Amino acid sequence: MRSSISIFWRRKDSYYKVLLTRCKRCGRASFFARDVCPYCGSSDVSIVKSSGRGRVVSYTVSYFRTDSNEEYLPLVIALVRLDEGVYVTGELRDVEPAEVREGMEVEAVLRRYSSDDPYGLIYYGLKFIPVIKRC
Amino acid sequence: MRDVYIASSSMINISRHFNRGYKELAGAVVKDVVEGASVEQLDYMVVSSMLAESSLNQLDLATILTQHLGLKPMPAIRVDTGESSGLAAVEIAYSLITAGRADTVLVVGVEKATEFPTRVTNRFLSKVLDYEVEVLRNITPPNYAALIMKEYMKKYRVSREELTVWPVKMHDNALRNPYAQLKFKITPSKVLNAIKISEPITLYDMFPIGDGAAALILASSRVARKSGKEVLLVRDVVSATSRPLYLRDDITRFESLATLISMLRRKYGFRIDDAVCEIHDSYSIYAYIILEELGIARRGASYKEVENLVYVNVSGGLKARGHPFGATGVYQVSEVYNVMVKGVGGVKFDGAFGLTHSMSGPDYNSRLCLLERVV
Ligand SMILES: [Zn+2]
Repeated sequence: MRSSISIFWRRKDSYYKVLLTRCKRCGRASFFARDVCPYCGSSDVSIVKSSGRGRVVSYTVSYFRTDSNEEYLPLVIALVRLDEGVYVTGELRDVEPAEVREGMEVEAVLRRYSSDDPYGLIYYGLKFIPVIKRC
Repeated sequence: MRDVYIASSSMINISRHFNRGYKELAGAVVKDVVEGASVEQLDYMVVSSMLAESSLNQLDLATILTQHLGLKPMPAIRVDTGESSGLAAVEIAYSLITAGRADTVLVVGVEKATEFPTRVTNRFLSKVLDYEVEVLRNITPPNYAALIMKEYMKKYRVSREELTVWPVKMHDNALRNPYAQLKFKITPSKVLNAIKISEPITLYDMFPIGDGAAALILASSRVARKSGKEVLLVRDVVSATSRPLYLRDDITRFESLATLISMLRRKYGFRIDDAVCEIHDSYSIYAYIILEELGIARRGASYKEVENLVYVNVSGGLKARGHPFGATGVYQVSEVYNVMVKGVGGVKFDGAFGLTHSMSGPDYNSRLCLLERVV
């Protein structure tokens, strides 16, 4: 087994939703739910849910092989600016690497992150996919 | 504060040492460095290794090493600051002596990065990023190097081809270094056409995986004087941490490194032109940014100046000398010591200062070691 079930379970809200830590002292918001502001260290924070929508600022197509990602390669890893103005890095799925564009609208959906060896846990969490234009 | 000198240094060649474990690698450099130091006793040992728990299945590496090597019982401690662990060990050793807690400290950096297949080692080394926030979400260190490289190319209108000059230069330098892992020349087209790691980064923009060990003995002036080693002073070792990539306002800057270099400039009035440097070029793009943060090159234009740099990464850098993680920072100090005192492959630096830079991830932490010639 590679990962800890309790570590994942404890942070599940941050994997299943795009959560932001909003600081009442410095006013900045940051990706991931924390009990302190990573900018100023204040504990006077509130956790808010992001819409999960944003735009690709930059991206890379990754072939870097680890024994927990090899069945998913290549991965597209993107720097996304959420509609709330907060930056997050994460995986982009459901799009051919050649079709990814800077400025592309994306939204967060639940996908599989990885799985432990044969009888272990499967880890699910949010990844980004291109926003499907409904006409 | 008490002065600290380098009494002796030792390295082994970086390679895939399949037939030697960490005990043999560390043992070789410890024996050599002790013989070279002519000190009567060792007061402390500081060991650095990044992957001990993951790769060696070993906790408390420092104690196990003293037992295995039959060293006289002494305080021994292992430090981990990710990829900069080696320089953190030097930092601790320096602090022990300046604080008067020790007169001679043995620093050992050792890494066995080839005990598992590369894809497993790749997972281990990815844990220098935040496991809960980054690693579990499938982000790996070269992805960040790639995002930074693209941003840099966009910001300064630099082409991918123009950024091949660094790895080519590092491979040239490594030809002179007997301890280097990659001793062959490469060309810009070889860099561009190598297998992709994380676009636009290719295999030749990245360090190779290898095993290594390096050791230093640091000594107070009282001890160094007695053994005639008052030659190279460890002026200071400073370090800082910074924010994760996704919380940075400008990903083409290395803030903690910038803080450290301005601190050293203010405190010691030293100029980078008077220094021979070893920098942490884990990815080519990081080399360009580091050169700019250190003031060796102009922002956005460092690739134009690489050709003329004689005294930066004489060793071949992480790119070609190699990057045995926890040992790398110790290699760098040993290399600067050699190039200032003895000369390496026909290159000798006669100026006053030596500077080594080590970091983990994209400047998640940075450390600088300033060395100064006293005779
Ligand atoms: Zn704050």
